[in-house]
Amino acid sequence: MSSSENGRGTVSVENVVKTYAAGESVVHALRGVSVQVAQGDFLSIAGPSGSGKTTLLNLVGCIDAPDSGEITIGGTRVSSMNRDALAMFRRRNLGFVFQTFNLIPVLTAAENVSFALSLLGIADREIRERTRAILAEVGLAGMEDRLPSRLSGGQQQRVAVARALVKEPSIVLADEPTANLDSDTGRAILELMRSMNEQHRTTFVFSTHDQMVMDFARRLLRLHDGAIASDERR
Amino acid sequence: MFLPGLAWKNLSRYRKRTIITASAIAFGLATYIFMDGWLKGAEVESERNLVLYETGSSRVLTRAYWAERERMPLSSAIEDPEPVIAALREAGISAAPRTLFAGEAVVEEGSMPVRVIAIDTERDEQVFAFRQTVTEGRYLAAGEPGALLGEWLAQDLGLAVGDPLTVTTRTRSGFHQTLDLEVVGILNCPNPAINKGTLFMPLDTADTLMEMEGAVTEIDLKYRDYRAAEKMNAGLAAGALAAFPGLTVVSWKDLAADYLAISATKKGGSNVMLFLVFIIAAVGVSNTMLMTIYERIRELGMMRALGMRDRDIRRVFLLEAGGIGLIGSVAGVGLGCIANWAMVRWGIDFSVFMDMSEMDIGYRISTISHSAWNAPVIVTALAAGVLACVVVAMLPVRRALKLQITDCLRHT
Repeated sequence: MSSSENGRGTVSVENVVKTYAAGESVVHALRGVSVQVAQGDFLSIAGPSGSGKTTLLNLVGCIDAPDSGEITIGGTRVSSMNRDALAMFRRRNLGFVFQTFNLIPVLTAAENVSFALSLLGIADREIRERTRAILAEVGLAGMEDRLPSRLSGGQQQRVAVARALVKEPSIVLADEPTANLDSDTGRAILELMRSMNEQHRTTFVFSTHDQMVMDFARRLLRLHDGAIASDERR
Repeated sequence: MFLPGLAWKNLSRYRKRTIITASAIAFGLATYIFMDGWLKGAEVESERNLVLYETGSSRVLTRAYWAERERMPLSSAIEDPEPVIAALREAGISAAPRTLFAGEAVVEEGSMPVRVIAIDTERDEQVFAFRQTVTEGRYLAAGEPGALLGEWLAQDLGLAVGDPLTVTTRTRSGFHQTLDLEVVGILNCPNPAINKGTLFMPLDTADTLMEMEGAVTEIDLKYRDYRAAEKMNAGLAAGALAAFPGLTVVSWKDLAADYLAISATKKGGSNVMLFLVFIIAAVGVSNTMLMTIYERIRELGMMRALGMRDRDIRRVFLLEAGGIGLIGSVAGVGLGCIANWAMVRWGIDFSVFMDMSEMDIGYRISTISHSAWNAPVIVTALAAGVLACVVVAMLPVRRALKLQITDCLRHT
C-alpha cells in the first residue's frame, strides 16, 4: 500500500493552541500540545469530555485550524494551507470514520465506498474493482447493492471503514467509531481496523472514551484539560 | 458523472417535496405559456381585424384632416381623389376612397350617435373584407340609399333588414341634413369597434347628400405585408405621393395608437402577474433547497471532510435544484403547450359575453379568441425555469458552505 511507502502517514503536532468562544467566555481546548505520530501507529486519544481529544483529531484531520502552532502530515505543513488546498489534501491522504457512520442514504454500500474514489478521478472500472475488493475485505461481500437503511449499525460502520480505506490513505481518523455500536460489533470493527493497520501499515488515530478502544490501541495518548496527561506505548 | 448521479438520486430522496416544488414551477410556467399564447393570439387577431376591417394597411388624408381627425372635418377632405388613386395604382397599391362623418341615427324609440362610413362599393373590397361578414340581407350597391349596419348597432336600434333608418348630420357646408336610408344588410364583423357603432352607406349616395362634390375624407391602402407599412409609406411619400404636397400617409399603427397603447398596458399588467407567479414558484424552490440543505448539514460536513471542495458541493446542490427546475419546467411547458394547443385549435367564444355586457376589452376580437404559438417564449420559459431554480438555490448553499466542517459534523 502506498501509505507505508514513504512516511506519508507520519504526523507532527508542534505546540498547537486552539481556543473556542463559548458565549462571552473562551474555552482553551488545546494548550500548546505537541505530539509525534509514526507511520503505522494505532493511536487512541482518550480523555474526559472537554479534554480536547476531538479537537486534536479534527486538527490532525485538517477539518479545523489551530490558533497557533504547526501541524505537519507526511512532511506537508497543513496548518498554513488554504481551504481548497486542504480539501485536496484530505481527499488524497486522509480517511474518516465517524461516530454516526455518515453514509449517504440514497447510495448503496458500493456507491458510498466508490464516492471516495470518484473524487480522485479514477477510472470507473478501477473504482468498481477496488470497491468490490475492499467491501469483501471488510466482510460485506454480497451486500454491495444494499442501501444503508438495509444494513445493521455494524455493517454501516464497516461500509464507513471501507470508504475510509478504499483510497489507500496515509492516515485514517476515527471519531468515537464504536460509540453507536454494541460491544460485540464494536470489537469486530476494531479488529477489522487493526487488521487493516497491520496489513497496510495505515496510520490510525482514534478519539474515544470507550475503554475497549483504549485497550485495542498500541499507543494511548491521554489528554486532560487541553494538555497531554500521558503518552503510553504498548 | 458521479456528482450528477448523486444529485439525481437525491431528488428521489425527498420525493414529495420534489413533486410539490416541481408542481409549483410547472403551474407557474404553464400559466405563463397559456397566458402569453392567449395574449399573442389576441394581438395577432386584433392586428388582423384592425387592418382588414378598420384601418387598412395605411391611409392617405390631408394634413389638415389628420391634425383634426377627432372632429372628422369634412372641410379638410381630399378634393380630387382620383389622380391620387391612379398614382397609387400605378405604384401597384390597392386603394379605396372613403368618407367618414358623424351622425345621429333616429328611430321611433329615440336616437343614438353613429359613425357613418361612405364606401366605394366596388373598390372598398380591394382593401377591406366586409362582404364576407354580411349575415343578413346583402352588401351595398352603388347609388342606392342603403345602409349596412353592424349587428350590435342594429340590435341597439331595434332595426332589421328592410327597415327605414333616418340619420341626421351636417353637410360639408355645415347645413343640417337628414339621410333617409333603408337597412339593406347587417354584418357581424370580428372587429367589435365596427359592430358596435358603425353604419356603412354607398360613397356616391353620400357624395350627393353631403355635398362633397367628389371629395373624400380618406383613401385607404392595402399592402401585401401590413407589418411593413412604415417602410412602404416612406417610399410612397417620396414617390407616388410626392406630387400631392397637401397629403400625408399614415400607417395602421398611427391609426390604432389607442389600441396599441391599451395592448401594451395590458401586456405590462399581465407580465407583472406572471412575474408574481414566478416569484411564488421561486420562493417555493428556495424554501425546498433551504430545508434540503438544512437537513443534510452533517452529510455536507462528511462530504467536505472527505475532500469535496466548495465548488463540488455547490455543484451537487445546484444540480439538484436544476433537476427540480427541469422536472417542473418540462411538466409546465408540456401542460402549457397542451392548453395552448387547445386554444389555438378551438379557442374560446367571447361573442356571448361581449354581446351581453357590451364590454370593451380594447382588443379587436368579438367572436372566438384563439391563442397563438410563441416558440421563443416557450424555449425561454423552459430555460428560465431551470435557471431560476439554480439561482434561488445559490443563497442557501452559500450559507451552508460558510459553516465550519466541525460544526456541520456536530449538527443534529
